[in-house]
Amino acid sequence: MKKNSPSMESIGAESRTKRFFQKDFSQYLVLAVPMVFLAIFLLYPMFTTLVRAFMAPADDLAFHGFSLEGFKQFVVSRLYRKSLYNSFVVSISVTLLTLLIGIPMGYFVARVKMPCKNLILSLGILPVIMPSFVGAFTWVILMGRNGIVRVFLNWLLSPFGVTVPSIYGMFGMILCMTLTYYPFVFQLAYGAFASANPLLEEAAMLMGAKKWRIMRTVTFPLVLPSLGAAALLVFVRAIGNFGIPAMIGGDSYVLPTLIYFEVNGFWNINGASSIAVVNVLITALVLWLQKYMVSKHEYETISASRSEMKLHEGKAIRIMALVFCLLVLIASLLPQLTIIIMSFFTKWVGLFPEGFTLQNYIRIPTYSHRELFNSFYLSILATFLCAILGSLVAYITERKKPKGAALLDLSVMAPFILPGTVVSIALLSAFSGNSAIRLTGTYTIIVISYMIRRTPYVYRSVAASLTQLNPSLEEASTIMGASWFYTFRKVSVPLILPAIISGSILTLTTLLQELSTTILLYSGKTRTVPIQIYGAVADGKLGEASALSVVLLVVVFIIVYGMNRSQGNKMASAFKMG
Amino acid sequence: MSQNLTYEAVDKIYDEKGKNPVHALKDVSFTINAGELFCLLGPSGCGKTTLLRSTAGLETISSGRMMYGDVDISTIPPYKRNIGMVFQSFALYPHMTIFENVAYGLRVRKTPDAEVKRKVTEVMELVGLQEELKRNPSPTGLSGGQQQRVAIARALVYDPDILLLDEPLANLDAKLRRYMRAEIRRIQKATNITTIFVTHDQEEAMAVGDRLAVLKKGVVEQIGTSDELYTQPRNAFVSNFIGKMNFLESTIAGLDGDMVHCKINGTELVVPVEKCRCHMDRLAAGHEVLVGARPEMLVVSKEPVARSVRGTVKIIQHLGQFVRYEVDLDRTISETIFEIDMPGMVRGVHEHDDVYISVKPDVAALFSKEGRE
Ligand SMILES: Nc1ncnc2c1ncn2[C@@H]1O[C@H](COP(=O)(O)OP(=O)(O)OP(=O)(O)O)[C@@H](O)[C@H]1O
Ligand SMILES: [Mg+2]
Repeated sequence: MKKNSPSMESIGAESRTKRFFQKDFSQYLVLAVPMVFLAIFLLYPMFTTLVRAFMAPADDLAFHGFSLEGFKQFVVSRLYRKSLYNSFVVSISVTLLTLLIGIPMGYFVARVKMPCKNLILSLGILPVIMPSFVGAFTWVILMGRNGIVRVFLNWLLSPFGVTVPSIYGMFGMILCMTLTYYPFVFQLAYGAFASANPLLEEAAMLMGAKKWRIMRTVTFPLVLPSLGAAALLVFVRAIGNFGIPAMIGGDSYVLPTLIYFEVNGFWNINGASSIAVVNVLITALVLWLQKYMVSKHEYETISASRSEMKLHEGKAIRIMALVFCLLVLIASLLPQLTIIIMSFFTKWVGLFPEGFTLQNYIRIPTYSHRELFNSFYLSILATFLCAILGSLVAYITERKKPKGAALLDLSVMAPFILPGTVVSIALLSAFSGNSAIRLTGTYTIIVISYMIRRTPYVYRSVAASLTQLNPSLEEASTIMGASWFYTFRKVSVPLILPAIISGSILTLTTLLQELSTTILLYSGKTRTVPIQIYGAVADGKLGEASALSVVLLVVVFIIVYGMNRSQGNKMASAFKMG
Repeated sequence: MSQNLTYEAVDKIYDEKGKNPVHALKDVSFTINAGELFCLLGPSGCGKTTLLRSTAGLETISSGRMMYGDVDISTIPPYKRNIGMVFQSFALYPHMTIFENVAYGLRVRKTPDAEVKRKVTEVMELVGLQEELKRNPSPTGLSGGQQQRVAIARALVYDPDILLLDEPLANLDAKLRRYMRAEIRRIQKATNITTIFVTHDQEEAMAVGDRLAVLKKGVVEQIGTSDELYTQPRNAFVSNFIGKMNFLESTIAGLDGDMVHCKINGTELVVPVEKCRCHMDRLAAGHEVLVGARPEMLVVSKEPVARSVRGTVKIIQHLGQFVRYEVDLDRTISETIFEIDMPGMVRGVHEHDDVYISVKPDVAALFSKEGRE
């Protein structure tokens, strides 16, 4: 601001236009990119899906010929009716069963004196970190006609005259999904029981209430919101899961597999769009119901003091708790164990595996090099782009606070609850057939689908970190003379880097196992490892599938473990919501 | 040479078109002289930070102008204003060493490396951190006072035209605050950069500032040196904000030459006209006014004396150089408890005793009752 400073002098004789060019426009340019991306690849596809849902079966997008043909199928077609019914039955049963397993387990670990609590908590998160379809095909081995677990259970149940139903179909799907998704309930219930204020319960006890009554009238209502959130998470996952029903659903179709059936069998994008819309409507309805119920049961804590949590010490309850937790952990981790054993054998149809071999692994470089390359290439590229997109959008909503910030937030987060198959359908409906941009069969469409699905991870992580970050750090830089872009590069990005990294790692590990989106978008050129595993299982080559799965498992495990070492325990909590 | 900084009818309304607009600055007009250390003082929420952030360009003002010399800076984007600012939270970068923190403004200006090194060393010597610079740790490894110095060094290193300090001492403990405020004054005088220092602590403001401005609800109440504000406060609010002022409710009895006669609950008091801090037309008989007396202007006595009012001693505190008597007066005279400082203990007066309060001659002032809080 010295008299001789040129910038000041020029302002002296300012005009409106000059003042206009004084403004720092780099930020508008940088921030426009994510908005344009979201508009083209998220909002536009969602719109076309909606349009196509009301069109007659075909694969071209045209705005004439309104038709309810797609929805009529839900009335006239037995397959459609059955799929809808199955989806409901599976999702609701899985939700109830996970609650039944997760709540007691969470209560036991939080409130009963027991050894190795931390180990139980870590092992209890594993099933959601590992690919769910891996669990599915190992249960075929364990519970197939002569599977070891089936034989054992049948022997156990024979006095009651009960036999275990076939693993192919509803029973298998429900079993697999329950064991995959119970960690959500377990972890959230544990958190709620562990952090509830024991004074409230003690007060009830002093007022003369019996144990069960306290449970019913005090403890339970207080943890209800957490349990509601967990139940919702499980329901959304279960109704959108493709891998498990695709592997062991057999003739029992559910909505995601029905979508796949329509696309893979008939290339009927419009029909698939109708199913996708129904699928999303159900999810949205459940989401709304949960919000509605939870809002009625939200309590503020009205207490200043808290006391130390008293743990149950009775022998009976301690033994019961430990046995329960061990049984659940063994059942849910059995698949990982099975697949490691299976990967060293040629077949396993009876009680025990047969034909020890290393061939399954030795074959990998020759038969799977392209798939391995694709998996890593697509996942890493998409993760990188997700990191940029998620961080920028978080920066916009948190720092720029534009008028439509809430809308932006909503649209970025929307894919979080969309089933993978629905995202694929949306992209296919916008970028295939006669559309201006055709992306079918390309790497691009897969990368875009990955970005749309996983940006919420980075977005949430970065947005949380930005709210913690004092804006004066950025303002100080501006005052010291830095332009917006300089500040962004030198101050904002380095400070939110930990959040970007942890969001990205979560993204990368889930993308490496991605099946439900890829299955509708891949071509011969863009096959990934999960697709190959799926194919191998379909062909009955379980050895090959297992070896590949082990490779995936090891890679994912190394990434998560390395991350845990460098970032403390935050990863586990990230997965709870992921 | 630096220039004067002038505010011309500056208004700031937050959320102007929204549902609940906040009028944070109202018609603010004053000039800060070149090289001056100027204090902005006022209770919480009065708009100090707003004025500072508007000066820096972090907020855009709703109307009015800010002139640096004869250049209007109101519309210049903040990163081109060449201003230095120290934030209450210090806003140091944890991902940089203290050297890089201080060098930041120079790096932005693309200063050559050798020059950066020279200027950083120079400014770190000025703030007394040459030893720390040799170790060059991350700022998270420094004490509060040291972080404060780094923040000041960082704001000074690129020779800003104006230095802004927003409650820079609020995060330090009491002893360090007293030390750092002297340091800030020393550094400011050494660099002679026009400086605005924001605080809500009147003692700090009086100790540091060449001149101060008292703000209330976005309005500048008075501007002047510490002494002017203390001895000639313009209204009841300023008088009680700069130091303590006891107020007696009274009614004008009449004007007699240079003397105003006031009635306080039956007792009469005379105040010289030049001590009246209210409009002359307030001095007509029958008007209600406030007689203001600082703690040291009052006298406590055990027996009734001429022109005294009666009260009850609540608490006696011996504070070293003086003794403070807290006295409860009749509700019609004062709603609040009086603070009276006597040079020593008054013989025979104990807590809960009735005493008589009188005002030393010709020192009390008259204030209008408006805008007391
Ligand atoms: N961004 C904002 N939006 C709306 N109102 C604001 C905003 N910032 C400040 N205000 C309001 O403007 C008024 C002045 O605020 P300001 O921060 O300038 O006060 P202050 O004097 O610095 O107070 P303190 O001593 O507490 O820091 C307050 O009423 C405050 O609520
Ligand atoms: Mg402030």
